[in-house]
Amino acid sequence: MNEELGMRNEEWEIGGKTLSSRLLIGSALYPSPANMEDAIKISGSQIVTVSLRRQAAGGTDGSGGNQFWDIIKSMGIEVLPNTAGSHSAKEAITTAQMAREVFGTNWVKLEVIGDQYNLQPDPFETVKAAEVLIKEGFEVFPYTTDDLVVAKRLADVGCNIIMPWGSMIGSGKGLMNPDNLVAIRKQFPDLQLVVDAGIGKPSHAAQAMELGYDGVLLNSAIALAQDPVMMADAFRVAVEAGRLGYKAGTMKEREFASPSTPTIGTPFWHQFD
Amino acid sequence: MIEVIVNGKRTEISRAMNVNEIIKELDYKVKGFAVAVNGTFVAIATYENTIIRDNDSIEILAPVQGG
Repeated sequence: MNEELGMRNEEWEIGGKTLSSRLLIGSALYPSPANMEDAIKISGSQIVTVSLRRQAAGGTDGSGGNQFWDIIKSMGIEVLPNTAGSHSAKEAITTAQMAREVFGTNWVKLEVIGDQYNLQPDPFETVKAAEVLIKEGFEVFPYTTDDLVVAKRLADVGCNIIMPWGSMIGSGKGLMNPDNLVAIRKQFPDLQLVVDAGIGKPSHAAQAMELGYDGVLLNSAIALAQDPVMMADAFRVAVEAGRLGYKAGTMKEREFASPSTPTIGTPFWHQFD
Repeated sequence: MIEVIVNGKRTEISRAMNVNEIIKELDYKVKGFAVAVNGTFVAIATYENTIIRDNDSIEILAPVQGG
């Protein structure tokens, strides 16, 4: 049916790759590695985020890490390593360099946390790290707030992609400040913009896409659903719907009601009343 | 013996040694990890020439799930 409609699976470019799915998906928090694999498959996502953590001596760390990585490798999708847990530009840069060697990609989801309570990104350290990493040949996907000026600074240092948050990581609260997201979209029509973090429901993802964002990145909303695989399918459809809605052009909001059914010929109305 | 910090834990190793040697001494078998020493990335190509000394801190990281 997709082919018949001819409007779905529209290709787009990000980080030098041409993809059809605009849903970027995390690989954490699933009930099992098999469940993660099924969810990623049905989501249609072609970019999955991964991370690095301390490796115990002797073999695996007991967390199933190797099984996880074997599954991801077998899926033939793009991996986007993150720098989660970094609290300074230095830590993020080192983590990105390590990730490039392990995962064999120059892509990095740059994440420098500035506050442990709300996991808000540190804009100063994020910009500093982005500048260094871009000079070292990385394609930086910076996780940032919905602050327009920070987005400008990231663009100034060469970021082709900017990923403002919808709301706090893992909160599921959706888009806290849609107006801020719209402002960033308007200022940067040529950059790839992805809403990252805070999305809890398919409708949130559709809303982000309706705002003209190029993609959405989420993890908890799928992995923590009662049925992650079904929810992954729901997000696939929501992202497609939101994108189509944006392209179709939404109607202008009106302050007053306006009937959609023709008023001419309305029954039970008498001219002499 | 000298003392180094491996993934945040104080660990004794027999002597100052390069990264290849410490990986062997610590019994890291599974490939596919990356190494940093004192907060700086050490590429595989430089393992041989990077010497771990007393009180150095080494991080050995491997792929995990991430968001």
